[in-house]
Amino acid sequence: MQLRTLSIEDLPQVMDLERRLFQNEAWLEQTMATEIISGQTHYVGVFDVSLLGYAGLKVSGPSYSSDVQTIGVEPTSQGRGIGRTLMIELLAVAKRQGSEEVFLEVKAGNESAIALYVSLGFEQINVRKRYYQPSGEDAIVMRMPISQPVVLGIESTCDETGVGIVRGNRLLANALHSSMDEHAKYGGVVPEVAARAHLEAFTPTLEAALAEAGIGYQDIDAIAVANGPGLSGALMVGIGAAKGLAVALDKPLYAVNHLVGHVGADVLERGAVEVPTIALLVSGGHTSLLLVRDLLNDTQLLGETIDDAAGEAFDKVARVLGLPYPGGPQIDKIAAEGDPRAIRFPRGLTLPKDLEKHKYNFSFSGLKTAVARHVEKLEDAGQEYSKPDVAASFREAVIDVLLTKSIWACEEFGVKRLLLGGGVVANARLRQEAERRCQEAGIELRIPRFSLCTDNGAMIAALGSQLIMDGREPSGLDFGAESTLPVTTVQTA
Amino acid sequence: MLLSIDTSAGTSAALFDGEKLLSSVFSDDPFGHAENIAKAITEVLSQANVAANTLEEIAVGIGPAPYTGLRVGIAAAKALSGGLGVSLHGVMVLDAIAFSRTEARLLVTTDAKRGELFAAGYLSGKREFGPKVIDPSTTTEFVGYEHVSESADAEKVGRYAVWALKNGVDLGETRAIYLRSPDVTPSPGKRVSG
Repeated sequence: MQLRTLSIEDLPQVMDLERRLFQNEAWLEQTMATEIISGQTHYVGVFDVSLLGYAGLKVSGPSYSSDVQTIGVEPTSQGRGIGRTLMIELLAVAKRQGSEEVFLEVKAGNESAIALYVSLGFEQINVRKRYYQPSGEDAIVMRMPISQPVVLGIESTCDETGVGIVRGNRLLANALHSSMDEHAKYGGVVPEVAARAHLEAFTPTLEAALAEAGIGYQDIDAIAVANGPGLSGALMVGIGAAKGLAVALDKPLYAVNHLVGHVGADVLERGAVEVPTIALLVSGGHTSLLLVRDLLNDTQLLGETIDDAAGEAFDKVARVLGLPYPGGPQIDKIAAEGDPRAIRFPRGLTLPKDLEKHKYNFSFSGLKTAVARHVEKLEDAGQEYSKPDVAASFREAVIDVLLTKSIWACEEFGVKRLLLGGGVVANARLRQEAERRCQEAGIELRIPRFSLCTDNGAMIAALGSQLIMDGREPSGLDFGAESTLPVTTVQTA
Repeated sequence: MLLSIDTSAGTSAALFDGEKLLSSVFSDDPFGHAENIAKAITEVLSQANVAANTLEEIAVGIGPAPYTGLRVGIAAAKALSGGLGVSLHGVMVLDAIAFSRTEARLLVTTDAKRGELFAAGYLSGKREFGPKVIDPSTTTEFVGYEHVSESADAEKVGRYAVWALKNGVDLGETRAIYLRSPDVTPSPGKRVSG
């Protein structure tokens, strides 16, 4: 016997069995087809030569629950445990999808089915009188709770010390300490300054997260830590802390990818991961365009910056304009008064000659130099110039390239969903322009709340939780910091 | 039961029942701190057949040390003390080295990298000066001092902590000792056109 996910090709066999089992109460073929192909449902079947049984589950992310839609077993094969096999598979799917409870309805007279559900952990919670038509039979409503893991996530890849706590796909706490102010006088993140700050901030941030979640150390089921990509010295603090905690609590430890964490953060907004999606991650350390077909199994790096990260370009141009660090908010502020079309700054790697090798890569160092040249020329000539115009035109060039390439990717790969992440998402103009362009192209735009877009511990916890719900083994205790960890490595063994 | 941890040079852990050393694990790899720390801790525990939740005190070497790895031990120690709900004690590693010696007058130095040394002076076990950064050529100026140059490890840190706690010495400072500012100067911002 073989258990597998059903596809639309299985529809004739499913309908044949459905009609024989349920006769005048059978679903219409159209209903069954819609159910099988829907992105919110999971239909599975047991086969030998032909179909012996099928079952379907509908997952509701926002309510953290699932419903068993239907289950049917070939009459001549009943009593062979096929129903149990199907149910166990559906419950595993529900758990993996972050459901905290599973509901089902069953005919009041179907004693063997009720006995099966009770043995799996379901309890009767309600009776719906005369629910099944035309027979008029009552339905028993049953519920089974699923316990999801409480995962504590530690983030220390750059200048934010983050400790987040989730239960399954549900956000419980997201505590953060930023050392940004300490980097201000240097005009950018200094690795040694960041690493020192992480060590000081760790315990207070951990305690803040536990207090926010209203739980104690004993309630934690697992620890997750970002072990890359990022600044090596900074990563090592988070790793040391995570290992200490895992040993102290005797709980499993998961070393996870920071960038994949950014993509997974959206799960905390809608209770489920929506894939496929193109993800644009833009921060002071990263500018990456990803194609995510499956968060845990299939993430592909389409392109990234070949020099400065977008956030870095904002910092550098802010300095050229005599504005303080961090540059993003400063440029955003004065750009509001400027004309984005005043100066046509270059759009890096968008010329036809670049597209073969760099269609989805970014380059902002030439743009920064162009802005600096422009300003120096005017200043040398003693000419007055409009800082707001320069800021607005620079910002427009960055945003134009970021979004143009993101939408190219959506179109080329036929993915009608774009997810934004990273600190640069704070830029109001980027969000506004992303909304406009996505609407125009018929692409669904996802932007998690800002506290889940910047570096944070909750997204690390959420990715760890996804791995646990998927049944992955914990990482060993001997992993290290991987400053250039590729996005294809979701978990370090 | 006291667990001591040190990542000021290599990575090490040691377990003490009172003054008695139960087990000790040491790796001299100067770069593998993040990789080795958990293994060192779990091994000293399993060698002595002790469960983590029976620990009563944690002591950690807080430097001075030149490697970024110093922070790994301190971070792990902080997490352990938080997770287990037990006190954390910080040991300045030169004190721990001095405590392992018997000489009356001591100059203890460790490698500070960049051609410099971390140093502290001791008279009859009491610290006279330091910790500070010195030039190696100046060690000859410490006339009458026995010069000891060696690394710290968890065994030394633990022995000193056990003694210090018994004798009421304050080990409450658990912040890392760097003795040097982050190696960076603010950039003035330079022109791009000639």
